[in-house]
Amino acid sequence: MQPRTIHLTKLFLLLSAFVIVALLIYGMFGSRFYNTRNLISMGFQVGEFAFLCMAMAIAMLTGGIDLSIVSNMNLAGILAAYVLTNEALLAGTSVGTVLLLAVTVALVSGLAGGILNGLIIAKIGVHSVLTTIGTMMLFAGFGMILTGGRGVVGFPDAFSYVGNGTLLGIPFPFLLMLLFFAAVGFLLKRSRWGRSLYLYGSNPIASKFSGINNAGTIVTTYALAGLLTGISALIMISRTNSARVGYGESYLLQAIVVSVMGTMDPHGGSGRFSGILVSVILLQLLSSAFTRLGITPFARGLVYGSILLLIIIAYETLAGRSVTIGKERPPRAAGRPVDSM
Amino acid sequence: MSRLRNSRLGTFVGRQESVLLLILLAYGLLVGTVNPTFYKLDNLFQIIRASAGTMILAMGALVVLASGGIDVSFTAVAIFGGYATVRIMMASGIDNILFAFALSGIFGMVLGATNALVIHRFRLQTLIATLGTQSIFVGVMTLIFGTKFVPVGDMPDSIVWFGTEPMLTLTMPGGAARLTWFVVPMILMIVLTWFLLNRTLIGRTVYAMGSSREATERAGAALWKTQAFIYMYVGMLAGFMGIVYTAHVRSLNPISLVGDELFVIAAVVLGGAKLTGGVGTVSGTVLGVLIITTLQTTLILIGLSSSWMRFFVGGILLISVSIMAIRTNRENLRNLIFHSE
Repeated sequence: MQPRTIHLTKLFLLLSAFVIVALLIYGMFGSRFYNTRNLISMGFQVGEFAFLCMAMAIAMLTGGIDLSIVSNMNLAGILAAYVLTNEALLAGTSVGTVLLLAVTVALVSGLAGGILNGLIIAKIGVHSVLTTIGTMMLFAGFGMILTGGRGVVGFPDAFSYVGNGTLLGIPFPFLLMLLFFAAVGFLLKRSRWGRSLYLYGSNPIASKFSGINNAGTIVTTYALAGLLTGISALIMISRTNSARVGYGESYLLQAIVVSVMGTMDPHGGSGRFSGILVSVILLQLLSSAFTRLGITPFARGLVYGSILLLIIIAYETLAGRSVTIGKERPPRAAGRPVDSM
Repeated sequence: MSRLRNSRLGTFVGRQESVLLLILLAYGLLVGTVNPTFYKLDNLFQIIRASAGTMILAMGALVVLASGGIDVSFTAVAIFGGYATVRIMMASGIDNILFAFALSGIFGMVLGATNALVIHRFRLQTLIATLGTQSIFVGVMTLIFGTKFVPVGDMPDSIVWFGTEPMLTLTMPGGAARLTWFVVPMILMIVLTWFLLNRTLIGRTVYAMGSSREATERAGAALWKTQAFIYMYVGMLAGFMGIVYTAHVRSLNPISLVGDELFVIAAVVLGGAKLTGGVGTVSGTVLGVLIITTLQTTLILIGLSSSWMRFFVGGILLISVSIMAIRTNRENLRNLIFHSE
């Protein structure tokens, strides 16, 4: 047999894990899992979460983190929900106008939250962890003041399309997700902003002295993260037909799991955006399988936490090495970052 | 960065603390003006009682932050220690408060050692690693001990006694003011942490590690020993806090506490500690915790619902870290350091 060398990139390891998990689930459930109905239902569920993961992933590319995504999503959702439940507005104008207004409110709210994060991080120079812990409390607190902790419920029927509609038999949130994966992926790879983002993430000082506007890069990145959060808010309130503070708090850990598993380096500067798509779908497969097995939320947390640690450890020890099949040869030593935060 | 400023460190931190004290006094004056019933010794004692648990956790968080790490798993450790200990005491019939502290402290140290092992062995980012272990700890706890609520009637007598029996009763014209026993562990832990950080080699190594890992390692310090000490110490404090918390609320919900770690970190950061390590004092942390607890317990006295709490804490945190960042940036610019944070 001809010796073949395989480079163990993170993406290769991720895809291998994906194939193994997909086959394992097939072995356990067979066509009871892989049928059209279940796949479509998974397509709906993945929507809001995927947008949070994209937001987390681009924040991680800068070497930062956005811990405020979930409370930003809930605040945007609450504000949009107030528009959608406003009696006077519904009586006065057409449903279409109200929907358009609600979408605008959610996107602007998410965007504003993101810009606030970006400005505090870039212009004032506060660490992203502290900034987003602060804004996380601020957004959740603001939502709490508005709602008093109660849910805002009962939207016009037409709005349910955002989270529950299908186009050519494919869930609308899933299509929206694919569209944004393509768009953000393209921007990261081909645009000036994307390249500055990678450079800033790997070495902010080098990027500063090569004439890149670091502050601009950071603000646009967190603003985009906020915008993506606003989209997830729309899908979320449409799917659950309600909005309240504290919804989806477990998404934060899961979004970090997806970002790290999806090849993003938490130290910034490296990561394949396509990995995030694979990673989101992988986590959705696991989540649906857990539901079938009747696993409690706490045990799920245990599994997600373990996956997070195992993935980081696997990437640290395996990624960057090469294995040769067919002929014995020692693997090349892996270079790994020494710095720990 | 901070080592360049060592000479000015004392005055800098001193300033931070005087500002905090001023804020605390000004806020006290405001609350007292709006609601004169605030000026009662019993209210002061109530704030002290309410801050006991947070204070113990904050001491641990301070040590981690000083070393340049961030731990978000300590609330999970606290609830693990408290819940496991109460269930074991209920099952075994051992009803002794010292036993409770010892057992919960040991649980905490074991979990802390797990954190240290994961972080050091695989050089993980502490935030991401402890986010993972947080979910793992809660998951393991619910798998072993279940999720049953422990009402006050089932609680071991010694813990109820510890939370209710007054150590000191002062009879005042306006009524009696009581200070319960559980302020004793709080004071002991503050003194112990101060002693460790300021009067021992390991404490100086913690600060040195936060300023520069590499310099500390070259100076001959064993980083893994320091790291093992840090995370086991935090774990032990969290274990103690689990019992103090249980004594305070006198019933135990195994899904409580987790999520509150951000308030503790906010308090420590408010007290002047930096996320990048090397900076932070016990006195600043005490003031930071007092500000946050005073806010939590007195919002109702000035006519605001508790919904405002998160909003205020988030706002205060952002303003305070922004002021600190602006000050650091000015100094960095003077010293031609271009890296923010």
